[in-house]
Amino acid sequence: MRYLASKVRGNSLWSDALRRLLDDNLAVFSFLVIVAYVVVAGLASFHLIATHWQDSIGASQSAPQLSGGINHWMGLDIFGRSVFQKTIQGAYTALYVGLVSSLISIPIGVLMGALAGYFGGWVDDLITWIYTTISNIPEILLLVSIAFALGKGIETMCIALGMTSWVGLARLIRAEFIKHKNREYVAAAQALGASNARRIFKHIFPNVLHIVIIGFSLRFVVAIKSEVVLTYLGLGIEIGEGSSWGLMISDAAGELVQGIWWGLASATLAMFPIVLAFSLFTDALRDAFDPKLRT
Amino acid sequence: MAENDILLSIKDLCVDFSTKEGVVHALKNVSFDIPRGKTIGLVGESGSGKSVTSLATMGLIPNPPGQVTNGQILFKGKDLLTYSESEMRKIRGNHISMIFQEPMTSLNPVFTVGYQIAEVLRLHQGLNHKEARERTLDLLNQVGIPSPHQKIDDYPHELSGGQKQRIMIAMAIGCEPDLLICDEPTTALDVTIQKQVLDLMLDLQTKYDMSMLFITHDLGVIADIADDVVVMYRGEIVEKNKTEEIFIRPQHPYTKGLLACRPPLVKHPKRLVTVSDFMDESGAEKTPPKVVYTDPVRSISETDNPILLDVKGLKKYFPIRGGVFGRVKNQFKAVDDVSFQVRKGRTLGLVGESGCGKTTLGRTVLRLIEPTAGEIIWKGNDIVGLGADDMRKLRRDMQIIFQDPYASLNPRMTIGAAITEPMEIHNIGANKKERLEKAAELLQRCGLPGNVLNRYPHEFSGGQRQRVCIARALAVDPEFIICDESVSALDVSIQAQILNLLLDLQDELNLTYIFISHDLAVVKFISDEVLVMNNGKIVEMADAQTIYTHPKEDYTKRLLSAIPKGIPKTLLDKGIEVLDFSQ
Repeated sequence: MRYLASKVRGNSLWSDALRRLLDDNLAVFSFLVIVAYVVVAGLASFHLIATHWQDSIGASQSAPQLSGGINHWMGLDIFGRSVFQKTIQGAYTALYVGLVSSLISIPIGVLMGALAGYFGGWVDDLITWIYTTISNIPEILLLVSIAFALGKGIETMCIALGMTSWVGLARLIRAEFIKHKNREYVAAAQALGASNARRIFKHIFPNVLHIVIIGFSLRFVVAIKSEVVLTYLGLGIEIGEGSSWGLMISDAAGELVQGIWWGLASATLAMFPIVLAFSLFTDALRDAFDPKLRT
Repeated sequence: MAENDILLSIKDLCVDFSTKEGVVHALKNVSFDIPRGKTIGLVGESGSGKSVTSLATMGLIPNPPGQVTNGQILFKGKDLLTYSESEMRKIRGNHISMIFQEPMTSLNPVFTVGYQIAEVLRLHQGLNHKEARERTLDLLNQVGIPSPHQKIDDYPHELSGGQKQRIMIAMAIGCEPDLLICDEPTTALDVTIQKQVLDLMLDLQTKYDMSMLFITHDLGVIADIADDVVVMYRGEIVEKNKTEEIFIRPQHPYTKGLLACRPPLVKHPKRLVTVSDFMDESGAEKTPPKVVYTDPVRSISETDNPILLDVKGLKKYFPIRGGVFGRVKNQFKAVDDVSFQVRKGRTLGLVGESGCGKTTLGRTVLRLIEPTAGEIIWKGNDIVGLGADDMRKLRRDMQIIFQDPYASLNPRMTIGAAITEPMEIHNIGANKKERLEKAAELLQRCGLPGNVLNRYPHEFSGGQRQRVCIARALAVDPEFIICDESVSALDVSIQAQILNLLLDLQDELNLTYIFISHDLAVVKFISDEVLVMNNGKIVEMADAQTIYTHPKEDYTKRLLSAIPKGIPKTLLDKGIEVLDFSQ
């Protein structure tokens, strides 16, 4: 019994990675930026901030002005709504799409990659065939067809993004599983009587989990950008479903010639830090988990 | 000795490495001389600083984190440490050459071997393409590569391990260096190849009148090569002397331990002495226990030692596919019609060179690889046809300990989780608490403190990890364990400890082993019966004593004659066959 209460604690790869992340100032800063966006989006989703984004608060298309409160700092849109509040709501939409589409694509990618890599043979052939097929259809075309099949809207877009974006992760996971399944520790587990499921999920999976985490972070950036692009193309968020950076940019397409620049500027300025922060953070994660860099 | 007879003189060399945990003193005031035309053996185990010494001589210490903080390296009277990088480049490969341990990774796979040798010659000697090629052919001849005209245009993967090491040697002696540094050049090679390569190096040394610095962890290898031996331990030189003196009258307890812990071929000690018998953690000398020699052949009784495992006509073929449609063109016969029996409480040694099929045989017996044909009869029942579930249940009785303790533990699992997992699978112990208590007990039995259950594998040394692997194998109370090269990756002093542990466990728990190894001395020490394998077939099978004293087959004789005796020839001629410092 006295051993169980032992104070000797190991430092796992995770705590090592965390220590390395904390040593990296850029990573910490990027993470804080992400947290700030998440907090803002969270508050917006609970209607605690930017609640009046649908209300007209002044003359149509007023230019940004410092007087008149924070809601006027980024000007007003064609209906006299605050661009500032719309941008905040847009952050919520972006993160929502990022999260939901990742939650769809990552389990598919991990499972497909794990099964293909671990079992090989016809299972591998089948799964490789599926994802090669998917990755060979131009993504926009696939998204358009899913959007038409399921009807437009934010949920469809999340599903469409989720269903098309697991391929890259599945490939990585498959390669890692092929590498790990021949390692001696897996043979050792087999010799101890561990079943296939146990070897896949309990033994190999924790050894590739860092790839999943990196993949998750990477997916987020792609999803946020895809949301904007798709919405701009009229395949994403519908007018009336909520505010989105994509919609704001789409609106700006007609307004720019009239010299109304603040809608576009607000959306892109809001997008830039979160995309950059996610990209930098993903890089830092990769470095932190890379065993080759371990000292 | 006159001053100009010394080719290289290392004086008070100190090297530090700065790590996150602080500064590590890799070398502490290391001083020794290498005379012209002589061979110095530099002996030590992993972490002793022997490789750092050679890298410092070549000016190859990575900086940062490494830093030479003190000392001189005088080569022909000039201090190499004061040389600039471009001056050092002219020394390296030209005046001082180096051969590394791994011939597989030291050659660039995308260039032909001829090109790689010629490149050195063109670089340092200014030869043109034609001259360089002629000289390369000459060199290939000298290092004993068969049909050099053909091999000169081969790529590294087309050559065997021994041939690759010969290529490395050709490259190293190409510029006729004054000093050749060999860093464990034969450790990765089979014994028969090792002997050939060592003989070749001795020949070349006399021919070119080179000095050699021969780095190894194995005192046995340098017994017949080195003129002087320098023993290193934890960054310091603990002893240097003439080779013969080192072997007869070692002064430092570490040297004594190192010499005594190799299993002797002539006598059969009950347990091996280890370095820790000669000195404690702080380095203070201890009086070792008297070595007890026993009869190598243990008696067998039908009641106590029934036949546990009976393998009949076992075959494992791997298909060789080729052509557009991947048709099976041929079979690679990894295990070809092998039959043997193992008795309860006894050890069967399985010995052979790399690629002989011994590892495949071990794994096929456990059905980690499915056999192509044959019977594996365990306690009277053939297990070849068993279903997956029945086989999983049976795994409780049959365990395996792998070669590489770094690879066979899951890096993401704590030691506690690793040891309790098999208990969980086989429903041993009522709950987690009971299992962890048993795990702690097992760790203690295997010589580790029980309070490390929450630690991860990377926090342990190689020997400690192998103890963890043994504890894990014991967690299911097996009757039978296959040790697949289980001590080959360990330092010699750790090897002795693990071998003793395996023997203790066999006595206590009445375990049955199949012990697979390429190291004949180790197999002889631990086994009752020995099976010699070559090309997937059994060459010879006899009890451990007979096979060493009266080998019947040519292959066995060749294998035996290639084992380094571990004692200089001059001493053997005087009739000294066993090094025993326990009296």
